[in-house]
Amino acid sequence: LMDELTLKGVTQYYAYVEENKKVACLNAIFSKLQINQSIIFCNSVNRVKLLAKKITELGYSCFYVHARMAQEDRNRVFHDFRNGACRNLVCSDLFTRGIDIQAVNVVINFDFPKNSETYLHRVGRSGRFGHRGLAISMITHDDRLNLYKIEQELATEIAPFPAHVDKSLYCE
Amino acid sequence: GYNTSAVSTPEEEIQDKVHFIFNNLSNSNLEDKAEELSQCLEADYLEWFSQYLVIRRACVEQNFQELYVAFLEKLQRFWNRVFQLVLSKSYEYVNVLLSYEKIRFSTSDRTLLKNMGSWIGILTLARNKPILAKDLDLKYILLDAYSRGRLIAAIPFTAKVLDSCKKSKIFRPPNPWLMAILSLLKELYNLPDLKLNLKFEVEVLCKNISVDLREVHASELLKDRPSPSRD
Repeated sequence: LMDELTLKGVTQYYAYVEENKKVACLNAIFSKLQINQSIIFCNSVNRVKLLAKKITELGYSCFYVHARMAQEDRNRVFHDFRNGACRNLVCSDLFTRGIDIQAVNVVINFDFPKNSETYLHRVGRSGRFGHRGLAISMITHDDRLNLYKIEQELATEIAPFPAHVDKSLYCE
Repeated sequence: GYNTSAVSTPEEEIQDKVHFIFNNLSNSNLEDKAEELSQCLEADYLEWFSQYLVIRRACVEQNFQELYVAFLEKLQRFWNRVFQLVLSKSYEYVNVLLSYEKIRFSTSDRTLLKNMGSWIGILTLARNKPILAKDLDLKYILLDAYSRGRLIAAIPFTAKVLDSCKKSKIFRPPNPWLMAILSLLKELYNLPDLKLNLKFEVEVLCKNISVDLREVHASELLKDRPSPSRD
Protein backbone atom coordinates (compact mmCIF):
# COMPACT_ATOMS: atom_id res chain seq x y z
CA LEU A 1 0.00 0.00 0.00
CA MET A 2 2.77 2.45 0.89
CA ASP A 3 4.29 1.92 -2.52
CA GLU A 4 1.38 3.66 -4.18
CA LEU A 5 1.93 6.92 -2.34
CA THR A 6 4.59 9.39 -3.29
CA LEU A 7 6.12 12.47 -1.70
CA LYS A 8 7.19 13.72 -5.11
CA GLY A 9 6.16 17.31 -5.68
CA VAL A 10 5.47 17.85 -1.99
CA THR A 11 7.77 20.33 -0.29
CA GLN A 12 8.02 19.42 3.38
CA TYR A 13 8.73 21.80 6.22
CA TYR A 14 8.63 21.67 9.98
CA ALA A 15 8.08 24.44 12.51
CA TYR A 16 9.42 23.97 16.01
CA VAL A 17 6.74 25.15 18.48
CA GLU A 18 5.54 24.71 22.03
CA GLU A 19 2.19 22.99 22.41
CA ASN A 20 0.46 26.18 23.57
CA LYS A 21 1.79 28.16 20.59
CA LYS A 22 0.36 25.88 17.92
CA VAL A 23 -2.72 27.96 17.19
CA ALA A 24 -0.57 31.09 16.94
CA CYS A 25 1.65 29.19 14.54
CA LEU A 26 -1.38 28.20 12.47
CA ASN A 27 -2.45 31.84 12.36
CA ALA A 28 0.97 32.81 11.09
CA ILE A 29 0.79 30.18 8.36
CA PHE A 30 -2.64 31.40 7.29
CA SER A 31 -1.43 35.00 7.22
CA LYS A 32 1.59 34.32 5.06
CA LEU A 33 0.77 31.58 2.59
CA GLN A 34 -1.52 31.50 -0.39
CA ILE A 35 -3.77 28.58 0.41
CA ASN A 36 -6.31 27.22 -2.01
CA GLN A 37 -7.64 24.51 0.31
CA SER A 38 -5.90 22.87 3.25
CA ILE A 39 -6.16 19.78 5.39
CA ILE A 40 -5.09 20.04 9.04
CA PHE A 41 -4.33 16.80 10.89
CA CYS A 42 -4.63 16.15 14.62
CA ASN A 43 -3.71 12.99 16.52
CA SER A 44 -7.04 12.38 18.27
CA VAL A 45 -10.74 12.77 17.68
CA ASN A 46 -11.01 15.10 20.63
CA ARG A 47 -8.28 17.38 19.41
CA VAL A 48 -9.95 17.54 15.98
CA LYS A 49 -13.16 18.79 17.55
CA LEU A 50 -11.42 21.24 19.87
CA LEU A 51 -9.23 22.70 17.16
CA ALA A 52 -12.09 23.03 14.68
CA LYS A 53 -14.16 24.87 17.27
CA LYS A 54 -11.28 27.11 18.25
CA ILE A 55 -10.29 28.18 14.76
CA THR A 56 -13.88 28.61 13.61
CA GLU A 57 -14.21 31.19 16.37
CA LEU A 58 -11.09 32.86 15.01
CA GLY A 59 -12.67 33.33 11.58
CA TYR A 60 -11.37 30.30 9.75
CA SER A 61 -13.54 28.60 7.17
CA CYS A 62 -13.46 24.97 8.25
CA PHE A 63 -15.23 21.64 8.50
CA TYR A 64 -14.04 18.70 10.50
CA VAL A 65 -14.16 14.97 10.03
CA HIS A 66 -12.85 12.18 12.23
CA ALA A 67 -12.70 8.43 12.56
CA ARG A 68 -15.57 8.20 15.04
CA MET A 69 -18.11 9.79 12.72
CA ALA A 70 -20.58 7.66 10.80
CA GLN A 71 -19.34 6.88 7.30
CA GLU A 72 -22.33 8.61 5.81
CA ASP A 73 -21.54 11.87 7.63
CA ARG A 74 -17.89 11.66 6.69
CA ASN A 75 -18.84 11.26 3.07
CA ARG A 76 -21.08 14.29 3.22
CA VAL A 77 -18.41 16.47 4.81
CA PHE A 78 -15.81 15.27 2.39
CA HIS A 79 -18.06 15.83 -0.59
CA ASP A 80 -18.85 19.38 0.47
CA PHE A 81 -15.20 20.12 1.14
CA ARG A 82 -14.26 18.82 -2.27
CA ASN A 83 -16.85 21.13 -3.80
CA GLY A 84 -15.27 24.11 -2.07
CA ALA A 85 -18.05 24.79 0.45
CA CYS A 86 -15.31 25.52 2.97
CA ARG A 87 -11.60 26.12 2.63
CA ASN A 88 -10.04 23.97 5.33
CA LEU A 89 -10.65 20.53 6.76
CA VAL A 90 -9.54 19.49 10.24
CA CYS A 91 -9.31 15.74 10.57
CA SER A 92 -7.90 12.67 12.26
CA ASP A 93 -6.23 9.84 10.40
CA LEU A 94 -8.73 8.32 8.04
CA PHE A 95 -7.13 8.50 4.65
CA THR A 96 -5.66 5.33 3.35
CA ARG A 97 -4.87 6.46 -0.15
CA GLY A 98 -3.45 9.91 0.26
CA ILE A 99 -5.26 13.09 -0.60
CA ASP A 100 -6.51 13.29 -4.12
CA ILE A 101 -8.17 16.69 -4.03
CA GLN A 102 -6.49 18.83 -6.60
CA ALA A 103 -7.25 22.11 -4.84
CA VAL A 104 -5.53 21.08 -1.60
CA ASN A 105 -2.13 22.73 -1.90
CA VAL A 106 -1.25 22.81 1.80
CA VAL A 107 -1.34 19.98 4.35
CA ILE A 108 -0.62 20.79 7.98
CA ASN A 109 0.34 18.33 10.69
CA PHE A 110 -0.98 20.24 13.67
CA ASP A 111 0.11 17.18 15.63
CA PHE A 112 3.07 15.26 14.30
CA PRO A 113 2.28 11.60 13.59
CA LYS A 114 3.95 8.80 15.52
CA ASN A 115 5.12 6.72 12.58
CA SER A 116 6.18 7.05 9.00
CA GLU A 117 3.23 5.16 7.57
CA THR A 118 0.79 7.67 9.04
CA TYR A 119 2.97 10.53 7.85
CA LEU A 120 2.97 9.16 4.33
CA HIS A 121 -0.78 8.63 4.35
CA ARG A 122 -1.32 12.24 5.40
CA VAL A 123 1.20 13.95 3.21
CA GLY A 124 1.69 11.61 0.27
CA ARG A 125 -0.12 11.87 -2.99
CA SER A 126 -1.48 9.01 -4.96
CA GLY A 127 0.67 8.76 -7.98
CA ARG A 128 -0.43 11.63 -10.18
CA PHE A 129 2.41 13.71 -11.43
CA GLY A 130 2.52 17.46 -11.63
CA HIS A 131 0.85 18.15 -8.36
CA ARG A 132 2.74 20.49 -6.16
CA GLY A 133 2.01 21.19 -2.55
CA LEU A 134 3.37 22.05 0.83
CA ALA A 135 3.35 19.92 3.96
CA ILE A 136 4.04 21.75 7.19
CA SER A 137 4.53 19.83 10.43
CA MET A 138 4.39 21.40 13.85
CA ILE A 139 7.08 19.82 15.98
CA THR A 140 7.22 20.02 19.75
CA HIS A 141 10.16 19.01 21.89
CA ASP A 142 8.68 15.54 22.29
CA ASP A 143 8.38 15.02 18.53
CA ARG A 144 11.97 15.76 17.65
CA LEU A 145 13.18 12.13 17.62
CA ASN A 146 10.17 11.04 15.61
CA LEU A 147 10.90 13.72 13.06
CA TYR A 148 14.37 12.30 12.56
CA LYS A 149 13.09 8.74 12.46
CA ILE A 150 10.37 9.45 9.88
CA GLU A 151 12.76 11.39 7.69
CA GLN A 152 15.13 8.42 7.72
CA GLU A 153 12.50 5.78 7.12
CA LEU A 154 10.95 7.61 4.19
CA ALA A 155 14.31 8.75 2.87
CA THR A 156 13.03 12.26 2.52
CA GLU A 157 13.91 15.72 3.72
CA ILE A 158 11.83 17.84 6.05
CA ALA A 159 13.39 21.29 6.19
CA PRO A 160 12.85 24.08 8.70
CA PHE A 161 10.11 26.45 7.64
CA PRO A 162 11.78 29.30 5.76
CA ALA A 163 11.13 33.02 6.10
CA HIS A 164 9.80 33.05 2.59
CA VAL A 165 8.19 30.21 0.65
CA ASP A 166 8.58 30.25 -3.11
CA LYS A 167 5.09 30.34 -4.68
CA SER A 168 6.10 28.05 -7.49
CA LEU A 169 6.41 25.23 -4.92
CA TYR A 170 2.70 25.08 -4.20
CA CYS A 171 0.67 27.47 -6.37
CA GLU A 172 0.13 26.23 -9.89
CA GLY B 1 7.75 37.70 -12.32
CA TYR B 2 5.18 40.25 -13.31
CA ASN B 3 5.07 43.70 -11.79
CA THR B 4 2.78 46.47 -12.79
CA SER B 5 3.45 50.13 -12.22
CA ALA B 6 4.30 50.96 -8.64
CA VAL B 7 1.21 50.85 -6.45
CA SER B 8 1.15 51.86 -2.81
CA THR B 9 1.43 48.75 -0.68
CA PRO B 10 -0.08 48.48 2.78
CA GLU B 11 2.08 47.52 5.73
CA GLU B 12 2.76 43.86 6.34
CA GLU B 13 0.24 43.50 9.13
CA ILE B 14 -2.54 44.62 6.80
CA GLN B 15 -1.32 42.36 4.02
CA ASP B 16 -1.39 39.44 6.45
CA LYS B 17 -5.00 40.18 7.29
CA VAL B 18 -5.92 40.23 3.62
CA HIS B 19 -4.14 36.91 3.07
CA PHE B 20 -6.00 35.42 6.00
CA ILE B 21 -9.33 36.65 4.68
CA PHE B 22 -8.71 35.10 1.26
CA ASN B 23 -7.48 31.84 2.75
CA ASN B 24 -10.74 31.55 4.64
CA LEU B 25 -13.29 32.99 2.26
CA SER B 26 -16.30 30.81 1.49
CA ASN B 27 -19.85 31.22 0.25
CA SER B 28 -21.18 31.12 3.78
CA ASN B 29 -19.09 33.99 5.17
CA LEU B 30 -18.89 36.47 2.27
CA GLU B 31 -20.79 39.16 4.12
CA ASP B 32 -18.64 38.98 7.28
CA LYS B 33 -15.39 38.85 5.35
CA ALA B 34 -16.40 41.82 3.18
CA GLU B 35 -17.12 43.81 6.32
CA GLU B 36 -13.81 42.73 7.83
CA LEU B 37 -11.84 43.64 4.75
CA SER B 38 -13.49 47.04 4.42
CA GLN B 39 -12.43 47.79 7.98
CA CYS B 40 -8.80 46.79 7.66
CA LEU B 41 -8.02 48.19 4.22
CA GLU B 42 -7.96 51.89 3.41
CA ALA B 43 -9.21 53.04 0.03
CA ASP B 44 -5.66 54.11 -0.89
CA TYR B 45 -4.73 50.47 -1.15
CA LEU B 46 -7.52 49.39 -3.47
CA GLU B 47 -5.18 49.19 -6.40
CA TRP B 48 -2.80 46.94 -4.49
CA PHE B 49 -5.80 44.85 -3.45
CA SER B 50 -7.02 44.50 -7.03
CA GLN B 51 -3.61 43.41 -8.18
CA TYR B 52 -3.39 40.85 -5.40
CA LEU B 53 -6.82 39.46 -6.18
CA VAL B 54 -6.15 39.16 -9.91
CA ILE B 55 -2.57 37.92 -9.96
CA ARG B 56 -2.30 35.91 -6.77
CA ARG B 57 -5.80 34.54 -6.44
CA ALA B 58 -8.16 34.61 -9.42
CA CYS B 59 -5.45 33.67 -11.86
CA VAL B 60 -4.24 30.66 -9.89
CA GLU B 61 -7.33 29.49 -8.02
CA GLN B 62 -9.64 28.84 -10.93
CA ASN B 63 -11.89 26.76 -8.67
CA PHE B 64 -12.79 29.84 -6.59
CA GLN B 65 -13.28 32.41 -9.34
CA GLU B 66 -17.04 32.53 -8.92
CA LEU B 67 -16.61 32.92 -5.18
CA TYR B 68 -14.27 35.86 -5.70
CA VAL B 69 -16.71 37.57 -8.05
CA ALA B 70 -19.47 37.12 -5.45
CA PHE B 71 -17.06 38.65 -2.94
CA LEU B 72 -16.46 41.65 -5.20
CA GLU B 73 -20.20 42.15 -5.42
CA LYS B 74 -20.29 42.46 -1.64
CA LEU B 75 -17.30 44.79 -1.63
CA GLN B 76 -18.96 47.20 -4.03
CA ARG B 77 -21.03 48.48 -1.16
CA PHE B 78 -17.85 49.83 0.45
CA TRP B 79 -15.83 50.75 -2.63
CA ASN B 80 -17.94 51.38 -5.69
CA ARG B 81 -14.93 51.46 -8.03
CA VAL B 82 -13.56 48.09 -6.96
CA PHE B 83 -15.10 46.11 -9.83
CA GLN B 84 -13.77 48.51 -12.43
CA LEU B 85 -10.31 48.43 -10.88
CA VAL B 86 -10.19 44.66 -10.79
CA LEU B 87 -11.39 44.46 -14.36
CA SER B 88 -8.77 46.86 -15.66
CA LYS B 89 -6.04 44.99 -13.73
CA SER B 90 -7.29 41.80 -15.34
CA TYR B 91 -7.09 43.22 -18.86
CA GLU B 92 -3.67 44.61 -18.09
CA TYR B 93 -2.44 41.22 -16.93
CA VAL B 94 -3.89 39.41 -19.96
CA ASN B 95 -2.04 41.77 -22.24
CA VAL B 96 1.18 41.08 -20.38
CA LEU B 97 0.69 37.31 -20.65
CA LEU B 98 -0.24 37.51 -24.33
CA SER B 99 2.89 39.46 -25.10
CA TYR B 100 5.23 37.01 -23.36
CA GLU B 101 7.64 35.63 -25.89
CA LYS B 102 7.68 32.28 -24.08
CA ILE B 103 3.89 31.82 -24.07
CA ARG B 104 4.29 29.44 -27.02
CA PHE B 105 6.50 27.09 -25.04
CA SER B 106 5.44 27.49 -21.44
CA THR B 107 2.50 25.31 -20.41
CA SER B 108 2.26 26.98 -17.01
CA ASP B 109 1.99 30.47 -18.52
CA ARG B 110 -0.70 29.21 -20.87
CA THR B 111 -2.57 27.77 -17.90
CA LEU B 112 -2.45 31.19 -16.26
CA LEU B 113 -3.74 32.76 -19.45
CA LYS B 114 -6.59 30.25 -19.67
CA ASN B 115 -7.48 30.94 -16.05
CA MET B 116 -7.51 34.66 -16.83
CA GLY B 117 -9.85 33.90 -19.73
CA SER B 118 -12.43 32.19 -17.57
CA TRP B 119 -12.00 34.88 -14.90
CA ILE B 120 -12.72 37.69 -17.38
CA GLY B 121 -15.72 35.80 -18.74
CA ILE B 122 -17.15 35.40 -15.25
CA LEU B 123 -16.46 39.04 -14.39
CA THR B 124 -18.17 40.34 -17.53
CA LEU B 125 -20.27 38.13 -19.82
CA ALA B 126 -21.71 35.96 -17.05
CA ARG B 127 -22.87 39.18 -15.36
CA ASN B 128 -24.29 40.53 -18.63
CA LYS B 129 -21.54 43.13 -18.96
CA PRO B 130 -19.82 43.61 -22.32
CA ILE B 131 -16.15 43.15 -23.08
CA LEU B 132 -15.33 46.35 -24.90
CA ALA B 133 -13.02 46.15 -27.89
CA LYS B 134 -10.90 48.94 -26.44
CA ASP B 135 -10.21 46.76 -23.41
CA LEU B 136 -9.92 43.35 -25.00
CA ASP B 137 -10.46 42.79 -28.70
CA LEU B 138 -10.83 39.02 -29.05
CA LYS B 139 -11.06 39.06 -32.83
CA TYR B 140 -7.92 41.10 -33.11
CA ILE B 141 -6.16 38.83 -30.61
CA LEU B 142 -6.99 35.78 -32.71
CA LEU B 143 -5.98 37.39 -36.00
CA ASP B 144 -2.76 38.67 -34.54
CA ALA B 145 -2.02 35.28 -33.00
CA TYR B 146 -2.60 33.64 -36.39
CA SER B 147 -0.01 35.85 -38.02
CA ARG B 148 2.48 35.44 -35.20
CA GLY B 149 2.10 31.68 -34.72
CA ARG B 150 0.55 32.03 -31.29
CA LEU B 151 -2.83 30.38 -31.75
CA ILE B 152 -1.75 27.80 -29.18
CA ALA B 153 -2.23 30.53 -26.56
CA ALA B 154 -4.99 32.62 -28.12
CA ILE B 155 -7.56 29.94 -29.01
CA PRO B 156 -7.81 28.30 -25.55
CA PHE B 157 -7.87 31.74 -23.95
CA THR B 158 -10.72 32.95 -26.20
CA ALA B 159 -12.64 29.72 -25.64
CA LYS B 160 -12.42 30.17 -21.86
CA VAL B 161 -13.67 33.74 -22.09
CA LEU B 162 -16.61 32.78 -24.28
CA ASP B 163 -17.53 29.83 -22.10
CA SER B 164 -19.33 32.28 -19.82
CA CYS B 165 -21.78 33.15 -22.61
CA LYS B 166 -23.81 30.13 -21.52
CA LYS B 167 -24.58 31.95 -18.27
CA SER B 168 -25.55 35.20 -19.94
CA LYS B 169 -28.99 36.33 -21.01
CA ILE B 170 -27.45 38.85 -23.35
CA PHE B 171 -24.37 37.18 -24.75
CA ARG B 172 -25.67 33.70 -25.37
CA PRO B 173 -26.16 32.62 -29.00
CA PRO B 174 -27.25 34.15 -31.34
CA ASN B 175 -25.75 37.33 -29.91
CA PRO B 176 -23.96 38.97 -32.90
CA TRP B 177 -20.81 39.87 -30.98
CA LEU B 178 -20.43 36.24 -29.96
CA MET B 179 -21.34 34.87 -33.39
CA ALA B 180 -18.77 37.07 -35.11
CA ILE B 181 -16.01 35.64 -32.93
CA LEU B 182 -17.34 32.13 -33.46
CA SER B 183 -17.19 32.69 -37.22
CA LEU B 184 -13.54 33.54 -36.94
CA LEU B 185 -12.96 30.52 -34.74
CA LYS B 186 -14.65 28.40 -37.39
CA GLU B 187 -12.39 29.85 -40.07
CA LEU B 188 -9.39 28.96 -37.91
CA TYR B 189 -10.90 25.56 -37.25
CA ASN B 190 -10.97 24.93 -41.00
CA LEU B 191 -7.27 25.61 -41.41
CA PRO B 192 -5.76 22.40 -42.74
CA ASP B 193 -2.80 22.45 -40.39
CA LEU B 194 -4.47 23.59 -37.16
CA LYS B 195 -3.40 21.38 -34.27
CA LEU B 196 -5.95 18.81 -33.23
CA ASN B 197 -6.08 19.97 -29.61
CA LEU B 198 -6.93 23.50 -30.78
CA LYS B 199 -9.75 22.17 -32.95
CA PHE B 200 -10.91 20.33 -29.88
CA GLU B 201 -10.98 23.58 -27.87
CA VAL B 202 -13.38 25.06 -30.44
CA GLU B 203 -15.56 21.95 -30.42
CA VAL B 204 -15.77 21.93 -26.62
CA LEU B 205 -16.66 25.61 -26.53
CA CYS B 206 -19.48 25.07 -29.03
CA LYS B 207 -20.76 22.16 -27.03
CA ASN B 208 -20.67 24.19 -23.81
CA ILE B 209 -22.63 27.08 -25.26
CA SER B 210 -24.97 24.77 -27.22
CA VAL B 211 -23.94 25.81 -30.69
CA ASP B 212 -23.73 23.40 -33.60
CA LEU B 213 -20.30 24.06 -35.08
CA ARG B 214 -21.45 22.79 -38.46
CA GLU B 215 -23.95 25.61 -38.65
CA VAL B 216 -21.48 28.37 -37.86
CA HIS B 217 -20.48 30.36 -40.95
CA ALA B 218 -16.76 30.65 -41.29
CA SER B 219 -15.54 34.22 -41.73
CA GLU B 220 -13.09 35.23 -44.44
CA LEU B 221 -10.73 37.38 -42.50
CA LEU B 222 -7.53 35.39 -42.69
CA LYS B 223 -6.83 36.13 -46.33
CA ASP B 224 -6.23 39.76 -45.42
CA ARG B 225 -3.69 38.78 -42.78
CA PRO B 226 -0.03 38.03 -43.22
CA SER B 227 0.45 34.24 -43.14
CA PRO B 228 1.98 32.81 -40.05
CA SER B 229 5.73 32.79 -39.81
CA ARG B 230 7.11 29.30 -39.90
CA ASP B 231 9.81 28.18 -37.54
